[in-house]
Amino acid sequence: MSREDQLRKRAKELLANKEVAMVLGYRAGKRPGRATPAFVTRPEDADILIFDDRCGMNLAAYLPRVKHRGRIAVVAKGCDSRSIVTLLKERQVDRSQFFILGVGCEGVKENGRLSDSCTTCAYPNPVICDEMVGEKVAEREPAPDPLADFEKLSSDQRWQVLMDDVSRCIRCYACRQVCPNCYCPTCFVDANSPQWVGKTTAGSDNMMFHLMRAMHMAGRCVECGACSRGCPMGIDLMKFNRKVARVVRERFGAVAGLDPDQPPALAAFDPNDKQEFIR
Amino acid sequence: MPEAAAADTTAGGAFEPKIVAFLCNWCSYAGADLAGISRIQYPPSIRVIRVPCSGRVDPFYILKALQKGADGVLVSGCHPGDCHYLTGNYVARRRFAVLNDLLEFAGIDPGRVSFSWVSAAEGERFAEVVRDVTEQVRQLGPNKKLLKDTIA
Repeated sequence: MSREDQLRKRAKELLANKEVAMVLGYRAGKRPGRATPAFVTRPEDADILIFDDRCGMNLAAYLPRVKHRGRIAVVAKGCDSRSIVTLLKERQVDRSQFFILGVGCEGVKENGRLSDSCTTCAYPNPVICDEMVGEKVAEREPAPDPLADFEKLSSDQRWQVLMDDVSRCIRCYACRQVCPNCYCPTCFVDANSPQWVGKTTAGSDNMMFHLMRAMHMAGRCVECGACSRGCPMGIDLMKFNRKVARVVRERFGAVAGLDPDQPPALAAFDPNDKQEFIR
Repeated sequence: MPEAAAADTTAGGAFEPKIVAFLCNWCSYAGADLAGISRIQYPPSIRVIRVPCSGRVDPFYILKALQKGADGVLVSGCHPGDCHYLTGNYVARRRFAVLNDLLEFAGIDPGRVSFSWVSAAEGERFAEVVRDVTEQVRQLGPNKKLLKDTIA
């Protein structure tokens, strides 16, 4: 039985036995090469579920929004499962609310090519799950440091490269909408009393938005790349994400989304944290 | 804000930086106060904003100050272990570490944003920190990056 058949069979069983109220998975999108989330509530609908290299969205993003529907079974690849761990850490969801159907992931495709975020993926298999569907996949050798070339540039050149990139931002906030970390009832970009972030798409306001988005990802982002793939302007959001993830890893020895019992890195501290930058 | 964007200059024409200083109520603000009542001289470059704790300083405040025309930002709190709220500055330290590295990565000159620990008893040290930071920002010149209106 193929992995997809197994997935459909288990989804059917879970729904028919009333173990879950909904299966959250993927279905084929309207356009070729794209998948879209599927919210399956009837056993007979389970046949629409798919899982392959089209399934790039991070389904953990939907969990805080559908948890009121009852117990949910969710299809989770490595990165989705790490995002679920992040949500558990931050007490946005309760472990008993979910049945995690883990799937190994060979990387997702974007415009026919392996997505950039998947080239550095170190966790293709779920870090937590209730049941694996199909076999675990072999861990791949992550690509060498994708920031190395950028960091060789001078300070002014780095600024210019990032500025050219974020200047294209149209502030649609698609990156926020697809992100499982962005569950705040009022996002800082929407708050208007006081209004923190300028609403214009001027370079300065865009840079403020992107720097603060990166700050909010520190110690929480699992580098799934959903934001980069979701960006209609093709902005390299992963550059910021990778940087903050690396700072957190190197300074605090913490990797996001692995251990539900560890607090988020920026909500904790070690009295011996390095402070060479403080006078 | 054109008037904020214009660089301050002294009568001699030398660049005088505007520095926004976030000082924690319990240590650094009192340290600044001690510097004042002890009549210790330091450059009048800082604009002090008193905050309850360095942990109250959202990285956004720092960026916002730069966006709105500050040439530099100084954040100062209690020494580690001396926080009035016990652990506020430890948590803040992690945030500042990430911000510091992120700004450097983004090409904002290191030195625009400074962090320090100054206790209520360190009036002379406070003056020294302000002197150092002012000189550092003076070397960097007026803040152009991130400033609104100057970049399209």
